[in-house]
Amino acid sequence: MKELDLLKKDWKKNSDSFEQISEKEIYKMIHKKSSSIVKWILIISILEVSFWTITNYYSNIDDMIQKINHPEIILYMQVLMCFNYAVTLVFIYFFYKNYKTISTTVSTKLLMGSILRTRKTVQYYVWYNLGIVVVSCVVSFFIGYVYNPDMEFIRQKLAANGIAMLFSIGAFVLLTLILLGLFWCIYRLLYGTLLRRLYSNYKELKKIDF
Amino acid sequence: MSENLEQSFVAQLQANQNIIHKICRLYTAGEDAHKDLFQEITIQLWKAYPKFRGDSKFSTWTYRVALNTAITLYRKTKRTISTVDYESHQHFVKDVDYNYEEEEQIKLMYKAVYQLNDIEKALVFMYLEDKDYQEIAITLGISEVNARVKMNRIKGKLKKILNP
Repeated sequence: MKELDLLKKDWKKNSDSFEQISEKEIYKMIHKKSSSIVKWILIISILEVSFWTITNYYSNIDDMIQKINHPEIILYMQVLMCFNYAVTLVFIYFFYKNYKTISTTVSTKLLMGSILRTRKTVQYYVWYNLGIVVVSCVVSFFIGYVYNPDMEFIRQKLAANGIAMLFSIGAFVLLTLILLGLFWCIYRLLYGTLLRRLYSNYKELKKIDF
Repeated sequence: MSENLEQSFVAQLQANQNIIHKICRLYTAGEDAHKDLFQEITIQLWKAYPKFRGDSKFSTWTYRVALNTAITLYRKTKRTISTVDYESHQHFVKDVDYNYEEEEQIKLMYKAVYQLNDIEKALVFMYLEDKDYQEIAITLGISEVNARVKMNRIKGKLKKILNP
């Protein structure tokens, strides 16, 4: 291509016409903070994990369980708690491992892949927690309904009225969907702005190698 | 990190800084963005420097880290890249001998290149830098054959932009 050769000629001619940056300025630069996408991902990830871990910690339903007075439920809850901590630890390990593999010295495709993988790990953790929220809502709804002595009155009413029963289940499902939709929107907004370019570049690279 | 490491890094970077300038020229519009990207690349190079073992040349290594930073890590503050015009880069250009027709064509070519996407720009950049397809392929992480095919497609695309 003739024009490209012309461009190359011009490119070479101008390749040393840049205003040179002094060693002193470079010293200053290397002590400045990076504002790279990886740093943002790290910050957001840490915030997400802390948020969910704190939420887990504070959402205790001890009072309710005390009232119900069924020791086997307390045992189940403790098992679930341990499981939850184990999952969090496993997740943190994977996140750290993936984060460590992000390196600017590998090929562009590998670099992009490892960033997206790191990001995905946190995403899975959040989905896992959302799942836990939904499951524990269902379970506590059920436990409350069946065992809680305070619910006796409502139980009788609902049992007598099929439509009210359906209505309350419908409201519960709707609430769950709204919750999930809300998180989905937050995700789209947050990562749409942060990762849009990365995703499109990654797709482009994959397309080339297809 | 030791003072020695810092010293050798700064000296090598100072000597090789045109590589970074050229990437900034292709990926940013205007002086501020140029400086911003230059700084981010410098930071990333410094962060990766302890792992640089000297089994490749400093310049080869710089190409890779700098391109990766520009394409992947850097967060553009403004999204006006595709509409950049050649004039905004005029301050970098020194005129040696002036040939009006050629100059016009070069201007149009720069404009066309700015319309390419980030990956295509990377290929064009390495082509302009006389990198062979093997190195292009390794840098981007694609196969050599596909790098060649892609470069041909880009040429076609540039032609289309020039003669719509």
